[in-house]
Amino acid sequence: MSLFPVPAPDQIGEPFWAAVAERRLTVQRCPACREWTWQPKPVCPACGSPDLTWEAVSGRATVCSWTTPRPPVLPAFESLVPFVVLLVELDEGVRMVGQLVGDAGDLLRTDGTDVTFSIGTRVTLRWRDQDGQWLPSWAVDR
Amino acid sequence: MNRQAAIVGIGAFPFSKSSGTSEWRMGSLAALEALRDAGLTPRDVDGVFRSTMEATTESAMARGLGIPDVRAFGAVDYGGGGIVPMVSHAALAVESGMAEVVLTWRARVRKSGPRPWMQRGSGGSSDQQHYERVFGIARPVDSTAILARLWAERYNWKPEDLGRIAITIREHARRNPMAMMQRELTMEQYLGSRMIADPLRLFDCCLESDGAVALVLTTAERARDLRPDPAYVTAYAMATGPDSYNISQWYGEPLGRTQGWYAARELWRRTELRPADIDAIQWYDAFTPEVAISFEEYGFCGEGEVMEMLAAGEHAPYNTAGGCMSEAYLHGINLFSEAVRQVRGTSTDQVDGAEHVLVTSGNTTPNGAMILSGSPR
Ligand SMILES: [Zn+2]
Repeated sequence: MSLFPVPAPDQIGEPFWAAVAERRLTVQRCPACREWTWQPKPVCPACGSPDLTWEAVSGRATVCSWTTPRPPVLPAFESLVPFVVLLVELDEGVRMVGQLVGDAGDLLRTDGTDVTFSIGTRVTLRWRDQDGQWLPSWAVDR
Repeated sequence: MNRQAAIVGIGAFPFSKSSGTSEWRMGSLAALEALRDAGLTPRDVDGVFRSTMEATTESAMARGLGIPDVRAFGAVDYGGGGIVPMVSHAALAVESGMAEVVLTWRARVRKSGPRPWMQRGSGGSSDQQHYERVFGIARPVDSTAILARLWAERYNWKPEDLGRIAITIREHARRNPMAMMQRELTMEQYLGSRMIADPLRLFDCCLESDGAVALVLTTAERARDLRPDPAYVTAYAMATGPDSYNISQWYGEPLGRTQGWYAARELWRRTELRPADIDAIQWYDAFTPEVAISFEEYGFCGEGEVMEMLAAGEHAPYNTAGGCMSEAYLHGINLFSEAVRQVRGTSTDQVDGAEHVLVTSGNTTPNGAMILSGSPR
């Protein structure tokens, strides 16, 4: 069994992972007040509408912060370190974390010091395959 | 409420890397010591409160100690954020008259036990970690590092600025024989320590400890009969803030603000005391950036000024027994025993005439703050 902490979705999050399996990044949006919300929620926290829907996002984002986890890390990540985890703000306004990858979706094996980015750097969605699990990831715009 | 609560007993099971015993036993021995310290016995206790992360339930604690009648009990979540709220529940029980004598405690076999973040997620997708752990954000230090980077870039923090906090706390610990870390920590050692999650180094992180601390609260009136130096509960607050998550402080607005900001707002709303009135502070210090951010968010300095203030040494002494960084990490309950000692005048690093002491819990989760004082309000 893979040590990778693959998600075990419940009803609220299942549509997210189903879309991810098709390499589509979706985020919940309220049909009533049009607010986006992340992470997954049962109802709209802005207006109370019970009918949140999953909508595709642009895949364009801006770096807000980042870190480089170093050992000791979860066993699944031991062979991957060092890598950079970005906090990005999607153009739709929600923030999420994801790994820094190259244009081909390859995990950049770096502690971040040799990669040109900073807070405010624009990034674009790429897809990375981790043991058969697609992961929404981010590459620096050129 | 007319009734006021006071802490009249503190007790501990020695802090170590491996206790060789169970959380139940450590908690029980700490509780007995706290009751002896208060001049009370288990038969006097009628309220018991715990952390949800405590393996021993209130009823197990009560039956183990021979507490016959528990009239008020409960458990508070959020680990290191929940310790002040846990003690606040105890104070609420006393002040409301639900209970007369309340026991609360925290016991951990952490150093020799498993790390919670090593466990595979078993919850549904409403578990926030499902949307962080897959990307490698699994440990509290990973999320804290992302927050620290935000503040460091915004306010031009240097590595030495965080190092100064670790060294200051270590120096306090070295005067406290109970503290686990007794060796000197130099800036060279700090800067040379390995990265755990950039920009946080090994010495930016708290200890992993076994041990226990117990507290006994009762009414101010009864406290005066029990001992000459009760630590009166002057004010307390709990808060989450909007879009509350555990440790990951970036889903809500404004970006960079922690849930501690809301606890600070609530605390100062509930007392006429102001930061300038606080003689000593026991900040929750699982990671050095939490101390710096708390100084700012509790209003001890202006925005972006904390590192300058700390470098100049123009601040109330903090974490005077070594805190989570250098005394022991028990989700921060040892911050309470030190706050009580400061009010009693019995700290190993005593602040002269300490009248008001502030205690906080983890500012990156639902959290709280309390002021203990040498006189009733
Ligand atoms: Zn809505």
